[in-house]
Amino acid sequence: MVTNTKEVKGKDICVQRVSPEEKRELAYKDDVCVGCGICAKICPTEAIELGEIGAIERTGVDESKISIDETKCVLCGMCSSPCPVDALDLKLDEKSIKDMAEYPKLIKSAEISDDLCIYCKACETACPRDAITIARILPERSKLVTGEIEIDKDTCISCGICEEMCPADAIEMEHHEPTSSDPTVSSDIKVDKEKCVYCLICRKSCPVDAIKAVCRSCSYGDYDLNPEDTETTGSSFIDEEACVNCGWCQEICPVDAAKVEKAFEGELTINQDKCEACGTCVDICPCNVLSFPEEEFGVQGDKLQADERFCIYCGACENACPVEAIDVKRTAVKHTPTKSKSWEKQLSELKTQT
Amino acid sequence: MPKHIVSGLKYLTAVELIREGLSQKEVAKILEIDRSTVSHYLNGRNLSWNSIEVAEIITKFCPKDFLTLTYALLNDSEKTRVIVKTCSKKSYKGSVEESCIGCGLCVDTCLLNAIVLDDLKARVDSDWCNGCNMCRDVCPTDSIKILEVNNGY
Amino acid sequence: MVELKVDQDKCLGCGNCVVACPVNGSISPEVASGHGSKTEETIMMVENGLIKLFNPDKCTKCGTCPLFCPTDAIFLE
Repeated sequence: MVTNTKEVKGKDICVQRVSPEEKRELAYKDDVCVGCGICAKICPTEAIELGEIGAIERTGVDESKISIDETKCVLCGMCSSPCPVDALDLKLDEKSIKDMAEYPKLIKSAEISDDLCIYCKACETACPRDAITIARILPERSKLVTGEIEIDKDTCISCGICEEMCPADAIEMEHHEPTSSDPTVSSDIKVDKEKCVYCLICRKSCPVDAIKAVCRSCSYGDYDLNPEDTETTGSSFIDEEACVNCGWCQEICPVDAAKVEKAFEGELTINQDKCEACGTCVDICPCNVLSFPEEEFGVQGDKLQADERFCIYCGACENACPVEAIDVKRTAVKHTPTKSKSWEKQLSELKTQT
Repeated sequence: MPKHIVSGLKYLTAVELIREGLSQKEVAKILEIDRSTVSHYLNGRNLSWNSIEVAEIITKFCPKDFLTLTYALLNDSEKTRVIVKTCSKKSYKGSVEESCIGCGLCVDTCLLNAIVLDDLKARVDSDWCNGCNMCRDVCPTDSIKILEVNNGY
Repeated sequence: MVELKVDQDKCLGCGNCVVACPVNGSISPEVASGHGSKTEETIMMVENGLIKLFNPDKCTKCGTCPLFCPTDAIFLE
């Protein structure tokens, strides 16, 4: 008789069935899970139960977001297929069903085009899951400086005004107390050419015109710069495990370099009469869709608002709402084709039940 | 005693396979016994008639009991398949409904390796099915039906 | 199984949890605006200066009350 074994590591769960024919292994990663409960809804054997997400996410209750009853689980993998964040994965003989053509998987993606990206980091800042890393290499500042300054030390009176004024800290004087043998206040004045940006504040503020500007192009312009020297280069990285395809990066990108494809389409409705403004949904939502906008400056509002541009229609908010004030409807579940009628039917039913 | 029952089952299988036209050499290879043993079997030697009687009774058990008992005695999947299939007189046809979710529990349960998954749907190979119904019993969606086929009628 | 629990030794009787609880608010709207409940249908109430659970079975474990309790006297575990 084939039976399942369950292994719990921290909050992660692994259910296994090993037979001479094959090894099936369902792995659940709690840190990836957003608590939407789609797995519990689709499970054909009612083996998965959604936990008390509000208590877990908000008060640090030390439990996994879902529980899997290994005596009911048949390792079919239907839970892993529609998981919007890939927190569940079924492997057959170590191969994920997400890499097998016969198994349907959600059509979703997020990518940043390195050809278009200008490395402004807006997406990195906006991403609610901290899934984006932009590594950028700035141009060498000295290559963007169009000239240099020279100080006529015979004219210089060592007043130190240029040193104080220089915004780049490029001028340094060697101050000392005057003595009878050396009745000066400074022994030297140095310009650090690596730091100087040729802004000419020093020249403009020098009371004795001791500073001369030497322009490399004989004109204060940037047309003499090599465009390659001015360019910021870099690379973008999306952590696919953390990414929930919410679309923040796409919305915020100023150059349309980020493209997000969402698996679910739908509608989110808030019943303002029922909402008690407890904020559970705001804390649960993996996509920063929900908020209580300030009613006046500095005053936290209590009218819940949703920005559906960022919604993935996972339904986590609806499940967590203690007073049934949120309704999430899915109108489309986009997935790769499957020949299995039962899988097709179960996936399609996600449209009617949230 | 279990050893004797196994011998009885092998005897019945050998006789049946020879009747089906296999050579003694082939039978010896399939059952992993000496060719001389096959010869002895066919001549009714080196085997107590009691063992054969007990083996015959076992083959007349319900398909599930016959299969599980044989598997328990031999603890060998391949030989169990040959003995059970050869000594079973009846044929079975399995049909799988669209409600099958492709969990593979039937595949893992079937001692005769008669079930495979095609595009997330189980398929029962009638050549090997002995009608034990264990697949039907474990199926979480009640998608499998095993029916006895009336041979030649 | 997560349950709503109170520790009366820690409770200051401030009633923050009673007011913050969204389920209380939906059962008895006057509670959400800071007034005393008119029914005994709410999940919890302050009685004789201490918090008391009346209907813990109505709790949806949303985790709001612990966020407002100044002394961790009401909690989910």
